[in-house]
Formats: sequence, structure tokens, C-alpha cells
Amino acid sequence: MSTVDARADAVRVGRRSDRRATVGLLSAPLVWLLLFFVVPVGFVAAYSVGAVRIFPTDGSVSLADWQRFLTGGSIYLDLFWKSVLMSLAVSVVVVLLAYPVGYFLALCVRKRKYVLLLVIIAPFLTSFLLRVLAWKVILGDQGVVNTLLFWLNLRAPDDPVPWLLYSRFTVMLVLAYVWVPFVALPIFVSLDNLDRSLLEAASDLGSSRWRTFVRVTLPLSVPGIMAAFVFVFVPTIGEFVTPQLVGGTEGYMYGNAINDLFTEGLDWQSGSVLALFLLLVVAGLMVLFGRWIQVRNVAG
Amino acid sequence: MSDIAASGRARGLLILFFAGLVLFLYLPIGILALFSFNDGDVSFPLQGFTTHWYGDALTNPTLLGSLERSLLVATVSSVIAVALGILAAFALVRRRFVMKSAVSALVFSPLVVPYLVFGISLLVLFTALDKFLTDTMGVYIGLGLHSVVIGHVVVSLPYAILTIMPLLERLSLSLDEAARDLGAGPWETFRRVTLPLLLPAIVSSFLIAFTLSFDEYAIASFLAGTQPTWPVYLFAQLRVPSLLPQLVAVSSIVLIASVLLVGAAEVGRRVAERRYAGSLPETG
Repeated sequence: MSTVDARADAVRVGRRSDRRATVGLLSAPLVWLLLFFVVPVGFVAAYSVGAVRIFPTDGSVSLADWQRFLTGGSIYLDLFWKSVLMSLAVSVVVVLLAYPVGYFLALCVRKRKYVLLLVIIAPFLTSFLLRVLAWKVILGDQGVVNTLLFWLNLRAPDDPVPWLLYSRFTVMLVLAYVWVPFVALPIFVSLDNLDRSLLEAASDLGSSRWRTFVRVTLPLSVPGIMAAFVFVFVPTIGEFVTPQLVGGTEGYMYGNAINDLFTEGLDWQSGSVLALFLLLVVAGLMVLFGRWIQVRNVAG
Repeated sequence: MSDIAASGRARGLLILFFAGLVLFLYLPIGILALFSFNDGDVSFPLQGFTTHWYGDALTNPTLLGSLERSLLVATVSSVIAVALGILAAFALVRRRFVMKSAVSALVFSPLVVPYLVFGISLLVLFTALDKFLTDTMGVYIGLGLHSVVIGHVVVSLPYAILTIMPLLERLSLSLDEAARDLGAGPWETFRRVTLPLLLPAIVSSFLIAFTLSFDEYAIASFLAGTQPTWPVYLFAQLRVPSLLPQLVAVSSIVLIASVLLVGAAEVGRRVAERRYAGSLPETG
């Protein structure tokens, strides 16, 4: 065997063992995700069209549930659009709140900017349920706001402001409160990675600060804004806990409908249709906006 | 430099905005914490100072049981998630293979699936599986902490990978090669060279996975069955106003514990980074 052949053989063996090592590394995580993530989602898809049956009451193979849902034969599609609007509004508000903070920390603070960033992010470490509950305490009939109004003689104690709690407004306020800390990070990262010499160049060329912001800084931070937007929109559109705690009937969202179909109405098949539809919409959004989003900026 | 980004007045406004947002974020938490020391229910006016809610909470067996369950679920699920995360991060950083972008899309996709949808998917699958096993073999597994662990591993995994990957990318391959040249086998190289260097990222990813699992409600609410974890128990008890001060007291303890834990991990990370400073290339 010539040396060239021997070397080619060695490379081939190396490649083979290389491939085996890759398979070894990937098999455990991929098997876990396939069994407990891909399969369940696929199973729900099959269940939603009646291809699998679990309960005796389940319908057989048909697209009837889907058709009824998509053609507006049920209340759920309207509810979906209402929730989309609420989530969109929340996402916009959250980005508007977080952007100035990210801008300030990334570009105007020199010392201790990471400490200050941590101050903004830290509330995210506290219990989600408790942060929602806090607003119930603040906005309730005997809560902070109504007590304050009473003390200031602006409102009688037996006549609290009713729309503070259990309204669409409350759900949106609380959701914004919950997600601001999470979103400050991707916006900060995109602004912090900005090449500052571009700002200096703009200023040297006579651009005003405002113009530099609109023409240079803002466009360059679009990926951060997009990531922030999607990472608020996705969890809020699937939200059911916050509306349940502070939403009342007016703040009822699409997620509540899914949850109720599974826990109270026990119509799992319709619930699966609703859940899968939500998943398809989110997947569609990711396909549309995916190229803008640096997944890394989220866990920074 | 800072005057390019904002004029004096704009800077002042930004400082004001920052302070306002900090107030907005912390005031509600602070008010809630205040009520854990209030000798009355959770409404104004305050009745006087007490610590008896803390005592009550720490002797409430159902409450302690749910905390214990959450600690167990969070520990087990984050250990599994970090172990799987290390494997996946190695493959994604150090290996070339076909369909890499598809694999990477798959491992990160749990980040963008609403937990509600994922939770009910597992619920439907496990219910159908149980039905099948009961009908064919008379076996019934049921829901419980094991199903919560399975779900939490899936949602923690992308965070674990994202935390480990950056450090792994900075880690020079020549360290591995040096160890191999000195006669270490692949496993020994991993255990004695790569793993210690990765330790800071592993600790962070463990903490992220742990906090995520410990606080997770949506998935656990569908999968816990008759074994409520702390958030599931908390949510169920929110309807009982008399229990509220106790729940707030426990949450304050949990908050302080998690701040201490994260602080300790950060100190540990710095010490570790200093110790291995020479082995990491400068980062730009």
C-alpha cells in the first residue's frame, strides 16, 4: 500500500470516527427534543384533525373543527384578533419603554453600565405570579391607588375606580410591566455592539444628534428591536395567567380560551385546533422575521 | 463620546426616564413585600409590624411540600438540561455536519413556542400514551413531577446551549491538542482541561435553567397532576385571601435566596475567570 493510499485511509477513518463523535454528541439532545417536543406537537396536529382519538367523544377524521374555526363559525377567531391587537400594543409599549433605557446604558453611561443593566433585568428573577399579583394589590378596590384617591378625597371609599382592575387595560399594563426587564437586554446588546466611530463620523460630517440618531443609530439597532418585539409578542399572545388574575371577562384572551377548553370545557379537540393555529401563526412570524433575529442576544 | 449620543438636556431626560422605570419596576414588588410584615390582610391601611406570616408559612406542610417539589423538579431538570446542553454546544461549535442549520433551528425552536401550546401538547401525548398502555398492558403511569421535568428540560435546553456556546467558542482548541499531545485520552482531556475551563458557563446555565424551572407555571399547571409545584400551588391559593400574606412571605424568602445564589455564582465566576485568565484568549 502506498503512503498516499495509507494517508487517504487514515483521513477516511478519521472522518468516520469524526462522524461517530458528532452523532454521539448530538444523539441525546436530539432524541430528547424529538420525543418530547416534535412528537407531542405533531401528535396534537394529528389529534386536531381527528386522525387520533383519545376519548370516546372525540370526532373521527375531519377538518370540520378547523373549518368552523377558520370561517368564523366560532367566537374564537374574533378572540384571536383581539388578543393579537393586545399583544401588539404591549410589544410596542414595551419596546418604547426599554429602548431609551438601552440607549442610555449603552451609549451615555461609561462606568457601571452592566450594574445598572442588572438593576433593570433583576425583577425578571422574581416570581412571575407575584409580579402579577402585586398589581392586583395596587389596583384592587382597597388597593394602593383607590386608597390614595380616598385619602385625597377624590373618591368615596364605597365608590372605587372600577376599571383599574379586571379590564383590558389592566392586562396590558401588567404584561408590559412583566416583560420590560426581559427586553432591555437585546436592545442594550444591539446598541452596545454599535460601532461608535460611525456616530463620530456622522457628527464630523455635520449631522445633528437627532439626525444621527434617526439615520444611523436607529437603523443599526433594528435587529435588537425586532428581537425584543418578537420575544414579547410570542409569550404574550399565548398568555393566559395574567388575564385570569387581573383581566376579568373584558381582559379574556385567546390563551384563556385554549386553557378553558382543556381544563374546564374538556373539548380537547377544539382546544388542539386553537393551540395549533397559534403555533402556526408564531412559526409564520419567525419565518418572516427570522433573519432579523439574533437568537443569541436574548440569553446574552 | 457621550455627547455624541445625547446633549446635556437629552442626557438629563434619559436619566430621569431611567429612574422612573426603575421606580415602576420595583415599587410593586416593594409594596407586596411590605404586606408580608403587615399584621392584617393584604389591603390598606397597614395594621402594624409582624413577622408571624413567616412563621406560619414555614410551618405550613402543604406549602413546604410544594416548595420541596419545585426544588426537586428544578434540580433534576436543570442537571439534565445542562448535560444535554454541553453535548449540543460541543456539536454546534466544534463539529461540522450536514443539516447543521436545521439542527440549530430545532434546538432553539422551544424559545419561540408559547409554553401554553407546548404544555398542552405534552398533556395530550401523555394522556394518549397512558390510555394506550392501560388498554394494552394495564399499566398506568399518570402525570406528575416526572412529566414536569420532561417539559422543563425542553424549554431550558436552548438557554443552556446559548450560555455555554460563547465560552466554548473562545476556548482555544490548542489547549485540547496540547493535552492530547501530552498523552491524555479524549475523555481525560475533556474532564481535566475542557470541563474546568467551561465551569463558569456551566454554572450560569445551571442557574438560568434552575430559576426558569422553579418559577414556571404554564407547563407545570398541565403536567403536575396531583403533585403541585410551588407556582402551581401559589396560583391555586391566590383565591384564598387569608393565605396571601404567607405566600408573599415565602416569595420574599425565595427572592432573597435567589439573589444570594446569583450573587454567589457571579463571585465564583469571577474567581474562576481570574484563575484561568491565562488560558483564555483576549476577547475584543
